[in-house]
Amino acid sequence: MQKNWLLFKIYLIAGTFTFSGGMAMLPVIEREVVTKHHLMSRDELYEYSTLAQTFPGVIALTNACFVGRKINGRSGMFWAGFGAVLPAFVLMLLATMLYQLIPQHGVTLAIMSAIRAASAAFLFSAAYSLARYNLRDWASILLALLCLVATLFSLASAPTLIIIAAALGIIGGYRKRGQQA
Amino acid sequence: MINLILAFLKIGFLGFGGGYAMLSLIYAQSEQLGLTTAQFADLNALDGMIPGPIAINSATYIGQLTGGFWFALAATLTVCIPSLIFVPLYMHYEKRIKSNWVLSSILKGIMPAAAGLIIAVACTLLLSTVFGVDSVFAWRKMTIDWPNLLVLGLVLGLDLKFHLNPVWLILIAGVIGAIFYYL
Repeated sequence: MQKNWLLFKIYLIAGTFTFSGGMAMLPVIEREVVTKHHLMSRDELYEYSTLAQTFPGVIALTNACFVGRKINGRSGMFWAGFGAVLPAFVLMLLATMLYQLIPQHGVTLAIMSAIRAASAAFLFSAAYSLARYNLRDWASILLALLCLVATLFSLASAPTLIIIAAALGIIGGYRKRGQQA
Repeated sequence: MINLILAFLKIGFLGFGGGYAMLSLIYAQSEQLGLTTAQFADLNALDGMIPGPIAINSATYIGQLTGGFWFALAATLTVCIPSLIFVPLYMHYEKRIKSNWVLSSILKGIMPAAAGLIIAVACTLLLSTVFGVDSVFAWRKMTIDWPNLLVLGLVLGLDLKFHLNPVWLILIAGVIGAIFYYL
């Protein structure tokens, strides 16, 4: 019971104070779980965090589930996960309700329109960092270009392209394993 | 509500690589659920201001816009399902799985694709906010919104160069928008 409350609290705090999610919350988790409460070793935490990044779904939640499950079984997983999701849900719900009240005309529309342009800029910036870390050989660049063109000209949907890319990844990984064996 | 749940199941189970890698998937599904490109752009701006994982924020926002509180809750719970399934499964078989080469190979294939897909979404937002069209097929109808082009360039520059907090960048954008409205 006490462990569950602690897990809930740790992930609630980490979730409330980290933006854009994912591994931004890892330093907070490390301080609480490893340094302060000695619930698991640093190596173990990093192993699960790396693992969480390869799993499909919400990385911060997967991380919480791993740590919670390891420390206190099924109920630990539930409480850590609940803590990780709750602040994002509540804050975003309030923000969306306020957003729905904004009048879509006059000066507020002009402001919203400019913010949408800023939003496009955020995406270009995110695309730049994704491209910089992941497009390091010709095969990757070619795959990225194909996905870009296919989407812009509505030739294939994003889910289809992601399934194809996953299949290509598995084929590549399988061949590499064959060469090593 | 069923379409909403199916959409977020797809986003969850195909959502490798987290946040921005999943965003193109979220855009595609939000379009199918009837959201406009402008509403998606607003979601992305809110993501920058509200803490929490992008997928959770998106599920709450899209659910709330399509049907109110219960839809928001349903979408958020749905996008959590993959973690709740895969973590116990992995823990159960942990000793038997020696290397998860399949998962890391999938990630290797998906990350370059995700980069290409997010550039496509960024271009769609560029077309919609600056050039006033929905897709490249409407290129004949393109106009240029100069204030928005200025905002986009300025925000991108400030973001890449100084890594300013998105809240400040959104504030700057809003002020520029208001100034041009009264000019």
